Amino acid sequence: MKKLRKDKFTPYLFILPHVIVFLLFFLYPMVNGIYASFTKWNLFSDPVWVGLENYKTIFFNQDSTFYRQFWVGLRNTVTFVLLCVPPQIILPLVLAALLYLRPRGHRLFQSIFYMPTLFSITSVILTWLFIFNRSLGLFNKMLGTDVNWYGEQPWAWTAIVIVTLWWVIGSNLIIYVAAFSGVDRSLLESAQIDGAGGLRRFFSIMLPSIRFPLVYTIVMAVISQFNIYGQPLLLHNASEPIESVTVLLIYIRKLAFGTGNPIAGMSSAMATCLGLIIGVVSIGQTIILRKQDD
Amino acid sequence: MKRKNKSLFITLALALACLMLLSACGGSSGGSSGAAPSEAASEPAAEATDAGGEDASSEAPSVAPGKKGTLEFWTVFTGADGTSMQTMVDAYNATDPDYTVNHRAMDANDLYLKLPLATQSQEDVPDIAINHVERLTLHSDNGYIDDFTPFLEGSPVQKENYNATLWEASDMSGGHYGVPLDSTAEIMFVNMDLYEKYGGGALDDEVVTWDEIEAVGDATVADGIIPLGISWRRASWLSGYGQLGGTMTQDGETPVLSDAPSIQVLETWQKLHDAGYTQKEGDAPWELFLGGQVLYVLEGSWMLNNAIESGVNYKIVDFPVYDTGAKGHWTSSHNFVLPRNDARDDEKTAAALDFINFIGENSMTWAEAGQIPAHLSVVEDPAFDEMPQAFIAQSDDSTLKVFTYKYYGFAVESLDKVLDEILYGRMSIEDGLAQAEQETKDRIEMEG
Repeated sequence: MKKLRKDKFTPYLFILPHVIVFLLFFLYPMVNGIYASFTKWNLFSDPVWVGLENYKTIFFNQDSTFYRQFWVGLRNTVTFVLLCVPPQIILPLVLAALLYLRPRGHRLFQSIFYMPTLFSITSVILTWLFIFNRSLGLFNKMLGTDVNWYGEQPWAWTAIVIVTLWWVIGSNLIIYVAAFSGVDRSLLESAQIDGAGGLRRFFSIMLPSIRFPLVYTIVMAVISQFNIYGQPLLLHNASEPIESVTVLLIYIRKLAFGTGNPIAGMSSAMATCLGLIIGVVSIGQTIILRKQDD
Repeated sequence: MKRKNKSLFITLALALACLMLLSACGGSSGGSSGAAPSEAASEPAAEATDAGGEDASSEAPSVAPGKKGTLEFWTVFTGADGTSMQTMVDAYNATDPDYTVNHRAMDANDLYLKLPLATQSQEDVPDIAINHVERLTLHSDNGYIDDFTPFLEGSPVQKENYNATLWEASDMSGGHYGVPLDSTAEIMFVNMDLYEKYGGGALDDEVVTWDEIEAVGDATVADGIIPLGISWRRASWLSGYGQLGGTMTQDGETPVLSDAPSIQVLETWQKLHDAGYTQKEGDAPWELFLGGQVLYVLEGSWMLNNAIESGVNYKIVDFPVYDTGAKGHWTSSHNFVLPRNDARDDEKTAAALDFINFIGENSMTWAEAGQIPAHLSVVEDPAFDEMPQAFIAQSDDSTLKVFTYKYYGFAVESLDKVLDEILYGRMSIEDGLAQAEQETKDRIEMEG
């Protein structure tokens, strides 16, 4: 009897540290943030309850700066997600499939592809900042072009997407390589004997075998790219990024922690909206992707 | 036994790996553990932009305390001028004062974020700080800084010792809130080698007009030289705007950024850009000037050291004018301020003023770094006349365009966002200025 009771508690003890961290550093700030979104608050004095006023401003008041910032920021964030997530899934898939063939030096390639993910955002930006420089950068010199990589579209998005892909492909790659290694080779061989070509084997056997990691990485990729912040903020050489790459998180942070008094209430309202959008998109994705598998 | 040892070893190894993982995570992200790094990426990004300013200030060495303690001194002098300030502070500390001074430099944005936080919470409040003069109206209104007036009587810091315009710029709300250290001006650097070739005598009357710049456009561009580099757009706009009489506000409260002077300045810029006479977007005009590819560049007097080190044959002259009779350049001034600090007693305040006076009297070091000191003893010293920036100190005070609009900070930050868009033709002048004005108004509304 005693042994049974002890076993009942042990699992909870194991998850307790994570739960504490989750409550303190995620749930409590989140609830606080949602509360702040209903207030007018400059972080120093007490928040003043204003109800739905912040939300009304960002959704309906077309003259307001905050309306403009929210919708421009959201549009730019969604653009980035649409531009970045498909290659972020497809490229590692292709690379993983190639690595699955175990060519010479595949372990070396694996390491090389994975290494960029170990860098911090500042190192990544420092690496790429001068490569895209207009007059002195590598790309323009090599291609003989005079493209303004930071100031003009579509080049600004191109630069940001290239940098992001270079940085994040590694992690998805490792997940797919590991998932593919679990694919039964005998299945592939028998398919080959039956006359299935490479592509057919890939789409009909390999992909379905890794559907759980695939769904996971797709959902995580979307969530993380909705949270894009560092690359557009830092990858430019003016005093600010241009408006068409200023994503929502940049506006959110600037409002709460820019110069001048913080406008934390409005910032929290925008952040809450972004969080809700991410939540809805993730849930929707999971349902659709899971359904397809069933 | 062996198996038990092996599992113990594995447990220890895992524990060590977890520790290392946590410490690595702690450094960069909010602890996302092995999820797609792109998720972790967005968080460290937020940390990274904060970390720069934080680390610099928290790692600064502390000075040995004097007989009675130390004074905490916050400045915005990161970079080359920071070394000069540190030299002067060290010189003061070497005089064995009762209170030694601990100099902490930080990014301006960081200082303007930390100062209100510190004064409102009364925790870690510095004893002295540097503020740009434009910030003083808001800071004094909000009670972040103290009035100097009750402390000036009998102290070595006196109005007569300083440039009158710069001193008076910190008179407000019936009190006096800053002691000027220097003035900084947005002026123009000229590459004299290129001027010999293309200048066409524009400097014969010591000042260049916008028309004269336009006139040299074709010849310079044909040889791959950029006629005019507009470096810090905000300061360049402020200079032209100030020259034409703009003040950002009519009643001191409501921002007015789309008035005639503003439009005229931006039309001049667009005209030059459309003709191909300015830098292309993405170019770094100052760096190109140092590399000898730009004839005229609009930059600040504080960049002087850079120019000297680069070996370019440069000269600094007044900001370009529309009318040779109406010179003017954006002038800011670094001021010493006394942050509201309940723990700073009269004795400490007197020590602070002593320090401020010392710096003032010894600001030749500051001048050697390319600055224009506000203390008259330095400016009137013949050694100062030899310095390239001397002509700015000697020009008529009416050319010093100091902006003291209460919400200057909001206005220029809103302008920063649109000036590039306007210059490079992505936004019309009307739309851009309307947006900047609206944003300033919205931020002011959020203040109250």
